[in-house]
Amino acid sequence: MKESRIRILYIDDEIHNLNAFKASFRRSYEIYTATSAQEGKQLLKEIMVHIIIADQKMPVSTGVEFFNEIKDTLPDPMRILLTGYTDVDDIIDAINKGHIFSYIKKPWDEHELHKTINNAYEIYHTRRQLKEKITELEKTNDELNRFIYSTSHDLRSPLMSVLGIINLSRLDNSVVDPNGYVDMVESCVLKLDDFIQKIIEYYRNSRLEVEYEKIDFNSLLNDCITAFKPQNTQIRFHTQVEQMIDFRGDTFRISVILNNLISNAVKYQKPDEAEPMVNLAVKVEPHKATISIRDNGIGILSEHLNNIFKMFFRSKNNNKPGSGIGLYIVKEALSKIGGTINVESKYGEGTQFEITIPNRNEFDT
Amino acid sequence: MNSIPDLRVILIDDNEIDLLLHERLITLQQISRTVLSFVNANKALEFLSSNISLPRIPPTVILLDIQMPEMDGFEFLQAFDAYPAKIKSQCHIIMVSSSLDYGDITRTNANPLVIKLLRKPLLIKDLKETVEGIFKDFL
Repeated sequence: MKESRIRILYIDDEIHNLNAFKASFRRSYEIYTATSAQEGKQLLKEIMVHIIIADQKMPVSTGVEFFNEIKDTLPDPMRILLTGYTDVDDIIDAINKGHIFSYIKKPWDEHELHKTINNAYEIYHTRRQLKEKITELEKTNDELNRFIYSTSHDLRSPLMSVLGIINLSRLDNSVVDPNGYVDMVESCVLKLDDFIQKIIEYYRNSRLEVEYEKIDFNSLLNDCITAFKPQNTQIRFHTQVEQMIDFRGDTFRISVILNNLISNAVKYQKPDEAEPMVNLAVKVEPHKATISIRDNGIGILSEHLNNIFKMFFRSKNNNKPGSGIGLYIVKEALSKIGGTINVESKYGEGTQFEITIPNRNEFDT
Repeated sequence: MNSIPDLRVILIDDNEIDLLLHERLITLQQISRTVLSFVNANKALEFLSSNISLPRIPPTVILLDIQMPEMDGFEFLQAFDAYPAKIKSQCHIIMVSSSLDYGDITRTNANPLVIKLLRKPLLIKDLKETVEGIFKDFL
């Protein structure tokens, strides 16, 4: 998309240079001229040009001074400096102060100047396209932002009403339901809600700034266990926290990681296991924390181990299919905070995840 | 829960099903005999301001939704904050929402007018405990 013609402003105190320039280039470009930096600035208020060419040696202000003055208010046009003198200081000055694209010696070579102008315009054009793309992306991001926010509420709100109705129907015994359909409705609604919450988690992880604060792993793990215990009261939880020193990390992401991993450990238990258990161990060191989550559940098929962190991957060898997003969120959250994860699993025997998270203590800068 | 005979509950929620649900829960559990429902926070404010002239304002629990069109829960709180102490001291506000938005939750917890934020679906146990907590000093 090459819109109209390239617009050039040429500033030079020698009129015959301006005329010569116009004579050679007016068929190719839209040319504006000024005899002083002052006049040039006046003109720039009216006309948006793509390229500015200025002579260095002019009375009152030099080309470099002029470029330096306008670079904040007009950063976009490409700047070309013309001069008859080959003064190294001028060149250095021009490049450092005036953000000059190119430096051309007088008298100019017409072919060279053509080439320089076209190159300059190409950069101008590319930069503008880039800017437009960035604006577009920011807008899309912002819309996504608002979309997720309203989705979280608009989808959840009617779901919570459904759960409320189910609760009420149990409370007043008004529904005769010998086949347990209401329970089925409830379990579907809970599953859907779980998925909505996962999407919100994913989104918050990708958008939120990382924030470091003190973390007490004992209380963090206890919160998790309190939340998951009701899902399977048979499970015995063992925790072992070795935290002699402070740990600083991103609370939101670390609890997302723990919640997802503990939730899996609770969910994928063998139905006939006599002593289902979940072992949680944390070891805090000055530079990192190592957390292991071990269960004696159904385990993961070895051929699936490479895929479990992929988005929407679901292992087919279990009767409790998940949303396929939990471990993906774990991996994404870990990459945000610079952590790593390892998994070992034996199908039919259990799974152990081990994660390490950097300790962002004060001395770690 | 019959210890406060003239306790009334005001429900403010744009979702009519939730209003009905909460009303039924409160009557079933006999938390209060008087339940007033408003689908619009503005109407609730109007009602409360009409109460100012009453010689005695009955103890009131307000269950307030966060996300509502026109006037949301936070706007309601801001407007209600300007009401005379006579009525404010009798009204105990519980926010009820399905929001998981971190901003909503922290804003609610930071508001001095709000006793507690309860999640939807509203569980009778949570509601009872919260209401009992409010009035334990009055008994």
